[in-house]
Amino acid sequence: MVSLVRAELRKLLGLPTAWVGLVLGTLIAPAVVLLNAPYIRRAITAGTLTDPSDLGLRDLGIGLIGPMILGVIVVSSEYTSTGQDAPGARQLTATLTAVPDRLRLLVAKTTALVLTVAAQAAVTATATLTLTQVLHGEHVPAPAPTRVVAAILYWALTALLAYAITLITRNGIVPLTLLIINSSVVSVSYLLTKVTDLASYLPDIAGTQMFLRDTDFPVEIAPVTAGLVMTAWIVVLLAIGLILFQRRDA
Amino acid sequence: MNTARAELRKLLTLPSLRRTALLTWAATLLLTYAYASAESRGEPLGDPTALAPLGYTQAGFLVLGVLAAASEYQEGGQIHTTLLAMPRRLPLQAVKALALAAVTLPVAAATAATSTLPASGATWMPAATAYLTLTTLLAAAVAGVVRRAVPAVILLLGLYFIAGPLLRARPGSLAAAYLPDTAALNPSRGAAATIIWTLSALTLAALTFHRRDA
Amino acid sequence: MITIDCVSKTKSGTRILHDVTFEARPGRVTGFLGPNGAGKTSTLRILLGLDRPESGTALICGRPYGKLDRPLTTVGALLDGSGAHRARTARAHLRWVAASNGLPDSRADEVLEVVGLTRDARKRAGRFSLGMSRRLGLATALLGDPEVLVLDEPVNGLDPVGIRWMRAFLRDSAAQGRTVLLSSHLMGELAETADDVVVIDKGRIVTQGGLADVTGDHPTLEDAFFTLTATEADRPW
Repeated sequence: MVSLVRAELRKLLGLPTAWVGLVLGTLIAPAVVLLNAPYIRRAITAGTLTDPSDLGLRDLGIGLIGPMILGVIVVSSEYTSTGQDAPGARQLTATLTAVPDRLRLLVAKTTALVLTVAAQAAVTATATLTLTQVLHGEHVPAPAPTRVVAAILYWALTALLAYAITLITRNGIVPLTLLIINSSVVSVSYLLTKVTDLASYLPDIAGTQMFLRDTDFPVEIAPVTAGLVMTAWIVVLLAIGLILFQRRDA
Repeated sequence: MNTARAELRKLLTLPSLRRTALLTWAATLLLTYAYASAESRGEPLGDPTALAPLGYTQAGFLVLGVLAAASEYQEGGQIHTTLLAMPRRLPLQAVKALALAAVTLPVAAATAATSTLPASGATWMPAATAYLTLTTLLAAAVAGVVRRAVPAVILLLGLYFIAGPLLRARPGSLAAAYLPDTAALNPSRGAAATIIWTLSALTLAALTFHRRDA
Repeated sequence: MITIDCVSKTKSGTRILHDVTFEARPGRVTGFLGPNGAGKTSTLRILLGLDRPESGTALICGRPYGKLDRPLTTVGALLDGSGAHRARTARAHLRWVAASNGLPDSRADEVLEVVGLTRDARKRAGRFSLGMSRRLGLATALLGDPEVLVLDEPVNGLDPVGIRWMRAFLRDSAAQGRTVLLSSHLMGELAETADDVVVIDKGRIVTQGGLADVTGDHPTLEDAFFTLTATEADRPW
């Protein structure tokens, strides 16, 4: 199993697009903290920030494009054609001849993805929160370790969400479009919470409540419950993805 | 003329373009409904309801443009066939843009109508249609340079939905007025920016296409 | 008539073609022979206007490819793959290509018949096997009933029946006065089909002439080839 995970890690890190996801995801959040520093400082002195303990943690959300890209391409790269001679040839053929047990293969892929994204999230969270402390330390309490861990968990779960959707669609563009639009400043999920309270249980709305306090969603969910809601989404989607992956021809 | 017919046929026989158009329209319908029902509940979502859904579903038009252009370079190497049949690259590139505009226009009009008419914003419809068509052409131009669908989608969506809103959120930001998608919410203000961005992207794409080995 | 004159090309810092010069004449099958990576495909891509030469000219009937009017009626080319988008059906692919050169739609079904794909006309190109993809590529090349054929490794991926068919097809084409240029690394295959042979190695033309002249005193074309390219036959790669 360890060698399978290592193979999957190698495959993932050998993709140029994976590095786009890694670099973008890691750099955006700290960069935003730096760029917004003067504006935030004014807001702090004016007293318009309701809960300064969210600062830094909130900025982490912008880097989520990284885990999204990683989660999508772990799967979509398997389905891209490898050459012009045979339009049907895909990397998946090689993968499945090397590892015919599809369940083991997916477990290895999932592990490789979670390891990569967790490492990335840890680096990004450290950089973003340290930067926030350096810039606004006197006004912002150091975030509780549990909230930081929850934020890292949210990154990993977001990657898994992207991964599960791609397993179902077998195409990278649909999940990327959905997820990136939805990570926009005013997300579609947020709009939907205005229409129905049920939308509060969408994975991204629930997920952010694991580590953010100052939210204006109609239904407030406690951090642990929020984590469980998001995990439930992913378990269901992954199960569907797994069944389809087992049944479909490669 | 032959070239135009060939390019139109190519676009019309790509199943992924039909699917994208349909999904985009359906998403617009859903969002229009969401905005309308939020308004009727007495908690309007801020932006002008006639155009706000298009701010999201323009993503579908970006994808449409990317798929149209990147399909040449996908597996199978269709670009070889295209260039063997139509070796004059600059006229080819111009015809490609026109054919894509012709195919996109009805989709853009239907989408714009879905969003603007229920919110009694019929006056915005022509502008919104033009904006969505130009956005598709811009995306096609970018994908023509990048030549691969997934990276082009990441680049464009990242700019439109992450970098753009970030720049706009900064108070007193000058850049906001010059972004290609300023017109999405405020057609009277950003029209020139959209046109200039699209034309520049198309020119850049034509030049790289002309210079580069296929 | 194909005339390639002093064509050179550098790709990412490496000179891949050095003053490549040769001709392919009407009524003859010209075999373009060389090991993998010798510059065969690069030369053909320059001839077809896909890549640009650094210097030199490559002309078809006295004109560069890009200056040909309705080029498919002059040149039919087969490169690697089918040249079709995987989501399009074989017929839809051939019809857009036909439209691009003002050819009637009926040509699509005619060439499908020639290459034996009539029953697969409604299949998407992505579902084709390697051999079928090659046949679809050949069908595309034949759409304009061209007087010049340029084929890159045409027998790659074909089954024995397909190879034999291709051989006869190329001989017939030349007999009807067409110019046929085909590249290959299969020497036995070329010795069966070609009238003239051009040998390229490491981007340079090593020798050219009639099949008998190039073979010379060697027992087979293969022996001549190894002597000319100084490749040790026992070195696997």
